[in-house]
Amino acid sequence: MRVLTALVALLSLAGAVLAEPPANAPADTPGDPVRGRQIFAPCRTCHYPEKGYGHHNGPSLFGVFGRRAGTQEGFLYYSETVKSSNLIWTPALLDAWLANPGSLLSGTNMMFVGIPDARDRADLIAYLAQFRDR
Amino acid sequence: MSDRPTSRTRRDFLRTGAIGAGAVTLATYATAPPAAVTTVRHWDDEADVVIMGSGAAGISAAIEASGRGVAVRVYEMLALAGGSSSLSGGVCYMGGGTPLQKALGFEDSTEDMYRFMVAASGVHAPLAKLQLYCEQSLAHFDWLVANGVEYSRRFSAEKELSHEEASLYFCGNERTHPYRELARPAPRGHVPPAKNQTGGRSLMQTLLASAQRHGVHVATGVTCERLVCASDGAVLGLEVRDARGKRNIRARKGVVLAAGGFIHNPEMLKKHAPELFPCAPHWGRAGDMGIGIRMGMSIGANVLHMHHGFAVLPLYPPENVLKGVVVNVRGQRCVAEDSYYGVIGHDLLFKQGGRGYLIVDRNSDYSAPDYRLVAAGEAPTIAALEAQLGLPPESLQQTVTYYNRFAERGEDPLLGKARDYLAPLIQQPFKAYDLGVDKAFYAVHTFGGLETTVNAEVVNAGGEIIPGLYAAGRTAAGIPVSPYYASGLSIGDATFFGRRAAMHAVARRA
Repeated sequence: MRVLTALVALLSLAGAVLAEPPANAPADTPGDPVRGRQIFAPCRTCHYPEKGYGHHNGPSLFGVFGRRAGTQEGFLYYSETVKSSNLIWTPALLDAWLANPGSLLSGTNMMFVGIPDARDRADLIAYLAQFRDR
Repeated sequence: MSDRPTSRTRRDFLRTGAIGAGAVTLATYATAPPAAVTTVRHWDDEADVVIMGSGAAGISAAIEASGRGVAVRVYEMLALAGGSSSLSGGVCYMGGGTPLQKALGFEDSTEDMYRFMVAASGVHAPLAKLQLYCEQSLAHFDWLVANGVEYSRRFSAEKELSHEEASLYFCGNERTHPYRELARPAPRGHVPPAKNQTGGRSLMQTLLASAQRHGVHVATGVTCERLVCASDGAVLGLEVRDARGKRNIRARKGVVLAAGGFIHNPEMLKKHAPELFPCAPHWGRAGDMGIGIRMGMSIGANVLHMHHGFAVLPLYPPENVLKGVVVNVRGQRCVAEDSYYGVIGHDLLFKQGGRGYLIVDRNSDYSAPDYRLVAAGEAPTIAALEAQLGLPPESLQQTVTYYNRFAERGEDPLLGKARDYLAPLIQQPFKAYDLGVDKAFYAVHTFGGLETTVNAEVVNAGGEIIPGLYAAGRTAAGIPVSPYYASGLSIGDATFFGRRAAMHAVARRA
């Protein structure tokens, strides 16, 4: 059910984007991981992406893409919203969420101001995607 | 006058800056003009002390006021209490011979603590506040412990607290030249033991639990919008808004603005602290929008130190890299490399135009690539590295030759770096890391805020106290000034002066 809600939210977001470009549209070219290092810096207030660094104020983001939200082992501070969301983190989902953090997972403990620029989000996601087992 | 934004445009840019913050509806970032009490038809609720914000300052005020038997309200804009304090390292700067210092065999005195803090603060030192803070540091330690904060009897010798079981360390510039000669160094960083620098979460969980035991309820998701004032300018209450709508809250004794700084308000940042704006990351929770500061300004409060900030450039750990040299774009050393990382960040950001390099040799290099820094050059000789970086001819060569000549003897006549961090740079490859503001990791937040007395009373532009209005934490101009010379000054200031606000308000005859 929640997956469905999230999907509807995403689709309506996509609809809004089509009707009214380009504010929150995903970037149309691949992200630059080198530039993404600096864009990701604010996230380090709470998250480490590096393998073995462990959890910080927020959960580790190592290997986040493809992972079910709220399932990093050993992190004790997930909100009920995140734990019960049944969402799988994908680049597209993270892009939509970073563009408008209020759009889904309302009730998460993660509070930040969002990343309005699509290029910034694409670069951040490209940077984050590097942190995974190969 | 013409470029002054109207309240309409002010509201617009604040909204744009907000871009939603998690689950919270933050539609109203505007600081509306104050409401005259004559326009308030009735009070929807009342208490003695009404507090805006639930970080270290607000919660300390709430505990202190409640402990003195008065009714308290705390309003938190976000969905979760704790403020930016709960994302901090949770270090509190205390000294003068705390029980923990004594138990671990360190001597300290109030005079040494004060001398160090005054000297390290430089020309902006807030002397009266520093004196009170140092004189009452032991009592403040006892207060934190009485409220449940637990410190372990373990010392860490590391410059940065990465030891998860330790609670005491040298958290600042105490052992750096010239401070080590001016005042006897002592470890004054007190922190609840925590993994990965999450001491702030632990500290705030403890203080929030104590507040709850004191009967304090933190109302989350409630935005404070306007101060309600009497015709003589005295503050009588607050207008707040939540999902249920707008309410007027009467404060019989006082309103405490403890709503954080303005690091997440880009327009305010560009206007007041432009050096901090290009830095990444802007460090703090989403509530640091400057709303409390603007509310104070809207009734004529004076502000101080608005361009000051925390500018941490964390070169260490590991500490072996501090055997390298930090140079500006003229190839000259500019700051002792063993300085507290807030002092290094301050020097580069405010004095060197946000540009510079860390020069290391093979022995002083990082052992692996690190997210904080990117390499700007690598060469078999200093001359070749200097050319790669485009530094003035022979500048870096002169710097390294001079540095090496004295480092071999364990001396640093130029900047007085301590012997432990001195080693000649002789093993190739030589490497340069870019310390440019657009390349390196500079964690920044703001120190500017409302001018307050030692009792946290807000002062207006004419130097008069605004009756009924208090400010603490980063909403006030407190003990932390630029350069930030030790961890724990901001949390120390917030907890201490949050309490001062409550003490004074409770005793006030309104």
